Amino acid sequence: MAQIEQSDGGKKKKGAQKKMQIHVDFTPMVDMNMLLITFFMLCTTMIKSQTLQISLPSNEKVEQEQQNKAKESQAVTLILDTERDQDGNVKFDPETGKPAHFVYYYFGKPDVTDENKDGLIDNSNLKVEKFIGNQNGETQGIRKILHDKNKTVLAKIAVLKEDWKNKKITDEEYQARAKEIRNDSLIADRPVVIIKAGPNASWESLISALDEMQINQISRYQIDNINAVDSALIFDYLAKNPRK
Amino acid sequence: MGKVKIKRKSTLIDMTAMSDVTVLLLTFFMLTSTFLQKEPVTVLTPSSVSEIKVPVTNTTTVLISPEGKVFLSVSGDADSTYSSEKVRAELIRTAVSEYNKTHSKQVQLTQEQVNKFAKMNMFGVRIADLPAFLDLPQIKQDEVLSDMNNPSTGIPIDENKDLNKPNEFQIWMRAIYNSSNPNLESSIKSGEGIAVKADKDTPYTTVHNVLDNLQTLKMNKFSLLTALKTEND
Repeated sequence: MAQIEQSDGGKKKKGAQKKMQIHVDFTPMVDMNMLLITFFMLCTTMIKSQTLQISLPSNEKVEQEQQNKAKESQAVTLILDTERDQDGNVKFDPETGKPAHFVYYYFGKPDVTDENKDGLIDNSNLKVEKFIGNQNGETQGIRKILHDKNKTVLAKIAVLKEDWKNKKITDEEYQARAKEIRNDSLIADRPVVIIKAGPNASWESLISALDEMQINQISRYQIDNINAVDSALIFDYLAKNPRK
Repeated sequence: MGKVKIKRKSTLIDMTAMSDVTVLLLTFFMLTSTFLQKEPVTVLTPSSVSEIKVPVTNTTTVLISPEGKVFLSVSGDADSTYSSEKVRAELIRTAVSEYNKTHSKQVQLTQEQVNKFAKMNMFGVRIADLPAFLDLPQIKQDEVLSDMNNPSTGIPIDENKDLNKPNEFQIWMRAIYNSSNPNLESSIKSGEGIAVKADKDTPYTTVHNVLDNLQTLKMNKFSLLTALKTEND
């Protein structure tokens, strides 16, 4: 392991101290360190999970009169659905390569009229979108719909963000003022989003929907159970516009 | 002819520098690492833009497997008064005595079994099967926990709304809430105390069952574990 070399040039004077050169071989040390590093690398989680905090209403029965009814003009209802194969595995969208999540949405009240009497609901205001996110810096898919619905708030926050980027205001100030804007009751066109998940909808699609709320700075949203009307709407929509 | 003398060169390479580097790397990993916790099923959480981190102490993680089995993991304070082990030992005592109030078949635990439970990170078996489960060696325990077809795996949960006859999930959650560690209660109230972890492909109805039970228990605020993504994805 360690070698001690004596330099014996022979020309040394008698009595002079012998110079020792010490070589310590560090190879085993390096070997051991590498093993330890490998161990730590395999056993650690570098990424701490993030959380999305939500609060749901309690399950106690609320009197009909006490319920806050959303104004029809501001209400957006999202119904989530995920395409699955026979084994229950989530299918993938051939276009985007992402899991095949569908978001049905309508503004205001559901339209259940059947004017042409073909036994199917006309679905004049039910549309379908996907979670696409941003493409080329532009909002796409359901994000665009929600973005357009919450324009006033987003425009105000964009101004604030500019200040924050230019370091005119601190982080805390930015967060506090953004929250103020999100909850500003003077802004008339803030939407109320009702998220309903169908029986096939995957957990990911619900999280994506909640995520869109954050991205689009929507402060008023709720998760609701799907009801018979919503199911009928989707069944009839699919009967008319089958998925490719 | 003069003989060609081959000079013998030493093949020693100086490893000191290399050793320095590896030690530095090692220090880095040791200081930044948090160890992976053993979980009965691996779940891939969906991603969100939220950047709130999960607290390490005083949290309850509810893990939902794609099959709908529920597992719980409780962590206590960093200091020793309410350490994770003490919290868990107290938790199992409360839960079992709560269970015995409503069930005719009584469950008794020995001190040894309680100690074994206190060392487990994540648990999820029927309370009736707890004594037998805790007597198993650790490898067998892991097998039971990760066997999704075993009827005793997973904490039983149903759509019970009557808190006088709580289901086992409700018994556990209430025991956690009423623990003598006050920080657990306050963190549950603030919404940081309960983290729900589910696979991204799990049907929402499965997760909804758990969320519904939490709502029945009036634990309305909780966090959903997600991975990080950027706004552009």
